[in-house]
Amino acid sequence: MRTILNNKPAFWLLLSLPAILLISGWWQGRIDGMDMLHPTGEWSARLMILAMVLSPLLSILGPKRWLHWLVVRRRAIGVAAFSYALLHLLFYLIDMGNLDDILAEWLAPGIWTGWAAFALMLPLALTSNDASMRWLRAGWKRLQRLVYPAALLTLLHWIWVHNSYAGALAHFVPLGLLLIARCIKKPLSQMKSQGV
Amino acid sequence: MRKWISLALAAAAIAVLPSAPASATGAIKCKAGPQSGWKSQDVLKAKLVKEGWTVRKSKVDGGCYEVYGTTPEGDRVEAYFHPVSLEKLYVARRGQVLFRKPGY
Repeated sequence: MRTILNNKPAFWLLLSLPAILLISGWWQGRIDGMDMLHPTGEWSARLMILAMVLSPLLSILGPKRWLHWLVVRRRAIGVAAFSYALLHLLFYLIDMGNLDDILAEWLAPGIWTGWAAFALMLPLALTSNDASMRWLRAGWKRLQRLVYPAALLTLLHWIWVHNSYAGALAHFVPLGLLLIARCIKKPLSQMKSQGV
Repeated sequence: MRKWISLALAAAAIAVLPSAPASATGAIKCKAGPQSGWKSQDVLKAKLVKEGWTVRKSKVDGGCYEVYGTTPEGDRVEAYFHPVSLEKLYVARRGQVLFRKPGY
């Protein structure tokens, strides 16, 4: 069981399970193209948040085995978040069906934020490989920080496109609280190490 | 830099927290009485098509009929109609409210 769980392809399979279920539902006609938009977007946001909470959790809780297990898989989680965003965009394009309708609404607050979030995620996904990491060196980490504005745009996209807060906040408030907790904890531990 | 973006993200998440509505479904509520008194969705669809709408999907939401479609003006929208009077109550494009009948 443990070897299966630690196997790389098995982790990828786990990450793609929601997509497999959704796409098969759509293929068999059980799920409308229109109704593919929300779940694909939600899974993208969930995985993005999962990738983002690991480092604040690590600085708050200290080293933990389960956390380490996830941290070494963080790049896969991030790529999966992007893949769901791509699927989300794909179903949006299928659902809209023509360029005129897409252009007509693209300045709506709920729409441009989605496009912008996707545009920020694109370079992150494209550089999520060993060759890019070697090539960009320290710049790689700086580039990956684009995930913070991407998450902010994703949150706004979710709130505005639905004109409601509940679902979006249920996902993003824990992330927000963890980021705050890390910001508070960092100066404290710096003070401690300086003997203040 | 990262700290500021993190803080902005956290602040944005928390600033909107108290304004979260109690109910997540239904942009508006209709309180139109028992469904036995409602007109059917097909009657609404036929009426809309006659007016120049393209109806892609319709369902019941918040006690109203919710329709996804294109208006006679060519806007892709989500619209709410009263299930008894079939009156147009609310029209939004991707969450952006284009029309809301006073009182709803």
